[in-house]
Order: sequence, then C-alpha cells, then structure tokens
Amino acid sequence: MTPDRHQLEADLLEFVRARGERHAAVTSLTDLIESGLLDSLLLVDLILHIEESCGLRFESDDINPSNFRNMSAIVNLVLGQLSVPRR
Amino acid sequence: MKWGFLDRAIPDRKLPQNNRFYLHAPSAGQRDPTMVWGTEIDADALHSYLRERNRNGRVVITAAHAVMRATALALVEFPEMNVRLVGRRIWAFRAVNVRLAFAHRRNNDIDVLIVQDANTKSLEQIATEVWQRLLEAGRGEGRRERYLTGMRRIPGFWLRQMFRIYFLLDRHFRLPVVGNLDKARAGAATVNDLSFPGAPPMRWYKPSRFPDPSDSLHLTLGPMDSKVVARGEHFASVNVMPLIVRGDHRLTDAHQVGRFVAAVRNLLNHPERLDAAVPSPTTASASSESSAGVPRDRAVAAHQ
Repeated sequence: MTPDRHQLEADLLEFVRARGERHAAVTSLTDLIESGLLDSLLLVDLILHIEESCGLRFESDDINPSNFRNMSAIVNLVLGQLSVPRR
Repeated sequence: MKWGFLDRAIPDRKLPQNNRFYLHAPSAGQRDPTMVWGTEIDADALHSYLRERNRNGRVVITAAHAVMRATALALVEFPEMNVRLVGRRIWAFRAVNVRLAFAHRRNNDIDVLIVQDANTKSLEQIATEVWQRLLEAGRGEGRRERYLTGMRRIPGFWLRQMFRIYFLLDRHFRLPVVGNLDKARAGAATVNDLSFPGAPPMRWYKPSRFPDPSDSLHLTLGPMDSKVVARGEHFASVNVMPLIVRGDHRLTDAHQVGRFVAAVRNLLNHPERLDAAVPSPTTASASSESSAGVPRDRAVAAHQ
C-alpha cells in the first residue's frame, strides 16, 4: 500500500530533525545540499531508513542532487519508486 | 589473483641515504619514521565548487570525493609517493588506487573502501563507486561484508594468531591480492573525511597507523572553521579546512611530503582542476607503468 504523502514526509522530517540541533529547523523546502545539512552519513542513513521502512532499494544512480535537494524531492523520489510495479 | 606492484623493487642503492637510515636502523635505535604535515585549504573555494557541481550534477559529490581525486592526481605528479614497504624493500604500486575510510553504518564501525585507478576516473565516477560501496555496507551485502562478518565471529585469541601470520607474510613477501579483504590494501594512500557537521575545530590531528604496511600516506580533511586574515589594509573572514597528511620517512622525506601536500592543496584550492581530462583506460594503463608507480628519477633503475 502506498503510504500517504504527508505521513511519509512527516516521518522523514522527524528522522532528519532528530539528527541534532543544526537539523531541528529543517522543513520540507530546506535545501539540504546547499545548506550542508545533508552530509554523507545522513544521506546513507536516510536511504537505509527509507529502504527499510518502504521496502525499496536505491542504487548509486539514484543519489542524484535533484532527488535529495529537499524533503519534498525525497518524498517525490520515494513515491515515484513505490508507484513502479515490482516483479 | 593480482599483483599490485611493478615487477621490481626500487634498488636500495637508489634510495636517498637519509631514508635508508630509517629503513635499515634496528628497532633498538627507537626510530620514528612518522611525519605529519598539517595545512589548510580554502573551504570557500571547495564548497562553492561542490555546490555548483551539485546543482545540476548526476550524482551527489562531497568533499571526500574531491580529496580522493586530488590525491590520485597528486600521486600521478609524484609517483615516488605511490609506494609501500615489503620487508626492507620499497615497491611501487602498479596503479593509482586511493582508499577511503568510512563509517560502516550497519555495524557502527569503520571500514575502508578502495577506488582503483582513481586517476583515470572523474569525480562523478569516484562518487558513484563510493556511494555504491556505502550502500552495500549499510545493507550488509557483498563479498567483503561476508568476509567481515566471518572475521567478527573469530575469537580475539585466534584473530591475533591470524593477524600474526598474515602480517608476517605481508611484511616480508610480495603477496598477490587474492581476497576481498586484502584487495582494499592495494593502494598507498588513505583518505579520511572528518569534516562532518558538528565536528569541533581541528587544531591538530595525528592520523593513526593501521597495522598494514600499505598505509604509506594518510590524508585527513578536518571540519570547516573561520579565521580572520589581513588582506592589504583590511581584514576579512575566510573559511578554511585543515588538511593533515601523514608520511613515512623510510619512503620519503619532509621536503617531498611538503611538495605532495602542496599539490593536493593546490587542487583543492582550485577545484576546477579536479576536472582535468580523465585519460582513457588504454592511455592510463600505458602511463601507469612509466609514471604512476615508478619514481621519475628511479624509472631507469627500476626497470634494469
């Protein structure tokens, strides 16, 4: 079942905000890459969290700046992957 | 099975005498060949470049990827740094392979990955390989993960005995690369990115020496910090990142380390130079025999 967009966004925002003080004010439109908030540790953790909670699998080609620009883009990526029929 | 070195060791008589003191001195002489050179790079230039690349790029590129590429290019410029000890002989690596220490998220551990022929790969290619390995490690996938899982199960006593035998053989014999674990040792340089968010200012750092004679060079990038500099009659605040490089006096000397560090620093201060033309694999393999692994001033001697 495809998760609700708002639910998914809330879950991912909570995950990122829990990172620490610097991440506490992240919103769905915060530019995570320009701001330097999305470092390699958080990026890998976020991907693994999404893979585990949504049953997806990302490849290195998916680690595209446009896919991880902000939370809204990440949610779009996840929903897009979920909408692709899997064998 | 793969032989990581060029066919012949660098003749002892061709080594600088000062390095030979360190190389041949007995342990009782309490020699300490470790050299550490700390400098700073222009963080504004590097981060501005990375932001630009990440605006329209195909893969997220980080400072770690930039340092790996800079290290590879500097090793091409200074092939005499792309070496390691086996016993008391110095061997040049056949290829310019660069290692990266990374946080293994699944095991809350540190592991090392290697990008082979890093001098022939673009920043995007290096980044793609690194992300692939980080994801594999996080998922616990891949042959290396199976080896590491197996090793974690070995009791400490037996692990010590295994290390004794393995490193004894590695120190004294020119071994081929046969397994997934020793594949990661097929390079002279290790990069460590400690510029994570929240890291305290790095005033000084001495990179540790992994019990692995391949670990000839170690480059650590520290967190960004601001400093005030004088520019003519004015003061300006600039952002810098420390770059700490560890070298081995049995293999090189401080002057050479300084030149190598200057080359890496220059590339990171002018990161557009990291986009230097990536040679084709045929060009790279032909040049690696003559430059990447063989010291320029020892090229003739190594092949005699």
